[in-house]
Amino acid sequence: MQFLFVDRIVDLQPGTTTKGIKHITADDYYMLRDASDRRYFMPALVGEAVGQLSAWNVMMSTDFTMRPVAGISDCARVHRPVYEGEVLSLESTIHRLDDAAVHYDGKAYVGDELVFELMGALGPMLPMQDFIDTEVVKSQFDALFSDDASTSTPKLTQGHVAASLVQFDSIKALEPGISIEAEKTIHADVPYFADHFPKKPVLPLTILLENLMGLSSVLANDPAFKVSEMRRIKMSDFVTPGDIINAKLSVKSFEEDTLVLRGKISRSDKRVCVLEIVMVKS
Amino acid sequence: MNVETVFPKVRDIIADVLVIESDEVAMDARLIADLGAESIDFLDLVFQLEKEFSVKIPRGQIEKNARGNLSEAEFESGGVLTEAGLAALKAYLSEVPADAFTPNMKANEIPMLFTVETFCKLIVAAKSSQVEAEPLGA
Repeated sequence: MQFLFVDRIVDLQPGTTTKGIKHITADDYYMLRDASDRRYFMPALVGEAVGQLSAWNVMMSTDFTMRPVAGISDCARVHRPVYEGEVLSLESTIHRLDDAAVHYDGKAYVGDELVFELMGALGPMLPMQDFIDTEVVKSQFDALFSDDASTSTPKLTQGHVAASLVQFDSIKALEPGISIEAEKTIHADVPYFADHFPKKPVLPLTILLENLMGLSSVLANDPAFKVSEMRRIKMSDFVTPGDIINAKLSVKSFEEDTLVLRGKISRSDKRVCVLEIVMVKS
Repeated sequence: MNVETVFPKVRDIIADVLVIESDEVAMDARLIADLGAESIDFLDLVFQLEKEFSVKIPRGQIEKNARGNLSEAEFESGGVLTEAGLAALKAYLSEVPADAFTPNMKANEIPMLFTVETFCKLIVAAKSSQVEAEPLGA
């Protein structure tokens, strides 16, 4: 199950803008089902697709010697789920790129409809060789421009993501309407480690965010509340296979139809991620 | 604009970046040792300071400011600060206690020295160089 979410790059201006496409198909693995049993692509992974689009530009612009990793984002806004059969048009704009970091924004559309926005993303730059062979990444990049890349990533069996991938193992504490604490072991056999990354497997920030979106729903305890935005996201350390992570979400504010949660994810009491999650009643 | 006038805003930004309370952020607090900053926090902090104060702070600007007229080779050799480099750093980071500077200090250990005041000074310097670059009436 590839953890590569740009099917084709349609335009790339080195160091500045990139446009790409991602088809949401029956064979996509990272799918969930809504209340009416309709299959949709994991919302946080739309952000992954936008981030990967920008990363392709960055990697190409540095002649594949460096790659950005997820670090900070001012805001990731989910406008609506993206369903099987829809086609994502991805765009990213790099504002600044140097040896230390890339600063960029990104958007995803279905047709003319904006479905996802990533604002103020800041990704630290690290040596490519620490993560993946340069020749492998170059060949993946070349394939994104070929005519064969126009439909989708390689076909697989009917997509069916293991629920455990996006759920915490156990709830350690729950004070309804106040806070929740949960724990999860990151197992080595999960499918995303093969691509993320071959030489240094690390938990994708977006998979962590998807887990946190689910945990938010448990705390909200009202299906009418949906995650609309995650902001002030910061990943300060890598989570690797075998790690046990602990997540604490607490209510920061609750006004009318908007619930704001503050989250902290740690490993052995060391902070690995902080963020705020905004839920809106639909 | 001086260190004292920018401090309240810098303090709030540091507190926000490190997810701590503002009153925990003293002028002489060391970001790593006292406030628990990680390397990603420095990236975040500089980004937030740039936005708040409408300045551009190139990566490595503190080291560049400290280096002054010294060339990179005069400042460090093989990743270790030269005698002249250590003296220049000590002079620039005058807010840091002298015993924090050790002989054969590595260049990648410099961030361990940074205090809240270091970032206040960085903002003051960035603002004043901005004024020099854009004289009144320009």
